[in-house]
Amino acid sequence: MIDSKQASDAMADIEDTVRRVRQSQIYQVSSLALLMWGVLAFVGNIAGWFWPRYGLYFWFAVYAVSAIGFIALSAYHRSKSRIRVFDGRYMLTFALIAAFGIFCCYFGHFTPRQQTVFWPIYIMLFYMMAGVWFGTAFLVIGATIIALTLIGYAYVPGISLLLWMAVVNGGGLIVGGLWMRRS
Amino acid sequence: MAELDDIIHQPLRLKIMAALNALPAEVGLEFARLKKLTGATDGNLGAHIETLAKAGYVSVDKAFVGKKPQTTVTATAAGRGAFTRHVATLQEIIAGKQV
Repeated sequence: MIDSKQASDAMADIEDTVRRVRQSQIYQVSSLALLMWGVLAFVGNIAGWFWPRYGLYFWFAVYAVSAIGFIALSAYHRSKSRIRVFDGRYMLTFALIAAFGIFCCYFGHFTPRQQTVFWPIYIMLFYMMAGVWFGTAFLVIGATIIALTLIGYAYVPGISLLLWMAVVNGGGLIVGGLWMRRS
Repeated sequence: MAELDDIIHQPLRLKIMAALNALPAEVGLEFARLKKLTGATDGNLGAHIETLAKAGYVSVDKAFVGKKPQTTVTATAAGRGAFTRHVATLQEIIAGKQV
């Protein structure tokens, strides 16, 4: 028979393993979402750079496709693993985050340049918050993209900022997704 | 008075069973992911999975995904039951109900 200290150690091992399994499940589906959002952010920025007058419409399309894509990814993951990682509460959370972002843009009277950096910084803030709860990968990805976005805002002139953001935001999410997949 | 399960109690086997038990019934983990989650080496993990399989606590399925062989380990109903009893016994020891 073992003593209570050894039993506590065994329970701690069990809890740590269960935490790792849950984190791994979240990383599996999140990495797919990050790859998808990375490609969409890249396309949105590049399209905005080519046709700046229609930038707003491109971003509406990007957000609509990403919402549908996210639902499809969650359903695909669930059918494959029978584990429900995301549900309707997450969609509601995303909708509230988007609504507050629109509220900020409307009352903040941001310039197009400010809006270009506001949205990635704002969304990456939530990645960092997710990192506190679900795993440091989110924290690192969020902090890196925010830092690079601010560097671009300070040093990349004019509409070239969109090319910078395509690489930093789109590319950053793709690299982050691939890294998360390997974690 | 419940007894600790000697097969599950070994530290690596405890981690394997904890990982598999965290998944829904009949959902397994690939060998590579189990290796990453438990931090075990290939040989060590394989040997302990075999011990658990001989006890009827896990099932091992080998299949090809494309051209790559893939081994999936799943906790059986007996394995889940044994793990639940083992955890209950650990909790009793912590609570001081067993010495």
